Amino acid sequence: MGMTLTEKIIARAANRKSVNAGDIVVANVDKLYIKDLRFSKKEDAKGLYGVLLEVLQSMGKQQVWNGGSVVVNLDEQPPRNERRAEGQERARDFAREQRAILYEGQEGGIGHNVMVEHGHVKPGEFIVGGDSHTCTYGALGAFATGIGFTETVGVLASGQIWLKVPKTIRFDLAGRAGPFVVGKDIVLWAAGKIGYEGAINRTLEYSGPGVKEISIESRLTMCNMAVEMIAVNAIIPPDERTVAYVREISNEEFSLLDSDPDAIYEQVYRVDLERIEPQVAAPEYPANAHPVSEFKGVRIDQGFIGTCTNGRIEDLRMAAAILRGRKVKSGVRLIITPASFIAYRLAEREGLLDIFKQADAVVTSSECGLCVRPSLSAGEVCISAGNRNYRGRMGPKKSSVFLSNAATVAASAVAGQIADPRDYL
Amino acid sequence: MGALLIRGRTWKFGDSIDSGNIDGVMGGVDPEFKNKVKPGDILVAGKFLGMGASDEHAPRSLKQAGIAGVVAESISNIFMRTLINIGLPSMECPGIAGAVSEGDEIEVDFVAGRVRNLRSGQTLNGDSLPEFALQILSSGGLISYLKNDGQFK
Repeated sequence: MGMTLTEKIIARAANRKSVNAGDIVVANVDKLYIKDLRFSKKEDAKGLYGVLLEVLQSMGKQQVWNGGSVVVNLDEQPPRNERRAEGQERARDFAREQRAILYEGQEGGIGHNVMVEHGHVKPGEFIVGGDSHTCTYGALGAFATGIGFTETVGVLASGQIWLKVPKTIRFDLAGRAGPFVVGKDIVLWAAGKIGYEGAINRTLEYSGPGVKEISIESRLTMCNMAVEMIAVNAIIPPDERTVAYVREISNEEFSLLDSDPDAIYEQVYRVDLERIEPQVAAPEYPANAHPVSEFKGVRIDQGFIGTCTNGRIEDLRMAAAILRGRKVKSGVRLIITPASFIAYRLAEREGLLDIFKQADAVVTSSECGLCVRPSLSAGEVCISAGNRNYRGRMGPKKSSVFLSNAATVAASAVAGQIADPRDYL
Repeated sequence: MGALLIRGRTWKFGDSIDSGNIDGVMGGVDPEFKNKVKPGDILVAGKFLGMGASDEHAPRSLKQAGIAGVVAESISNIFMRTLINIGLPSMECPGIAGAVSEGDEIEVDFVAGRVRNLRSGQTLNGDSLPEFALQILSSGGLISYLKNDGQFK
């Protein structure tokens, strides 16, 4: 019986010849990502390192299972309060003492972008991360899923994790997307199509002839929002584009696997990319997605371009294409946060940051930014290129968030109301 | 701590409550809930409980409030794992939202995967927990499990 790509990676990590959906296995983790916030005392008074040291001690150990496979990133620079600052200090202690890899300063940005852009994600790997958007890495053909604080301690101590092999839903993509239709629109469309019911605790696999036309940046967005569909992970079988991208940034070996033709899928959706329009997800759920035309004219107070979902160079280029020679509407604020300093510097070299500044947008340092920090007052409306529009996500309960791609955010900021970027070609 | 057969009074919540609104003992849904809930009570919810961020202070707030168990129509993977890892038994049980009215006393058997409404007498079958989850819960959570056993067996 055939296996899906996700099943093959899990089987390999669990030292088994094969696995089926529903099997309970213990997998050896290839890599662990941890954000600095996990080291603060937000979740446990002892902090992550304090709890870990206790566990290690009781196991008669001093070191984690494999420090060289652990990547720590300071998501917020500079830290915005004492608790965050202390967490970053503990993260540095941890990385030094446990010989883990740590990113900060100009090497940094949002951890998920750093993981991908610095070559820590390769096809076929089994990766877990102490942040829900770890699922992003599936874009490069890895199995990747988010875990909580306690489980992060468990993986650090044991190098292992138990899991139930998820059932897989496949999106069979065909055709080529039209102008200003990118990964964000594909994943919002998918969320709107199947809702949460179909995707909860499943694997999402995007494959088929349409994938080859989709950029790596867009693929990262599509896998990033798997968690908004409440999936365990999303994955895109590696192709020539994936190999070229990974070879550019990593010298390490990797294996190229694909799903078997007779792999078992719970469901297969056939998607004609040509028929997908730019999407907008209305409050308060990402699955509340519809074509942008249905929301034209909705007044906005703020636009936000950034996050591990849509702060990459593709997004910044799309936003610049709209904003070149235009101004953000008076009374509206547009905040642009390149997701990593690699993207920031690339945007700088391409002149995109100047375009943003001339359009009266505010460009900030690379970090999670407004995605994790309230920026709205009651009654205000934001259109965001981020991933979550749950109630109160960006401010008080009476503020609201619409989600879209970066070009739609830029066009809306110019119009002062939700607008179709295709009208600004 | 982490009893696998519990009886308690229920509090009912709806569908699609994300971890941000669960934080502070369901504070985003009902700011007064933390004053009403009593140790040993059972939280019953609809579909898609705990979607969103993996931040653990949300599920920990439920544990600290003394909630003895969580039963929902469906629970996000990260949230359910975290509940188990912090030693708070949880179960997915399709049909639970319709079978329980707030205040009903229910009995939940996490080993058998069964819920009984002691008011109506109705019994529902939920998803029984995998052996690993039961072992972790019996230890009081993943941290004590690892301290005792060192690794997964």
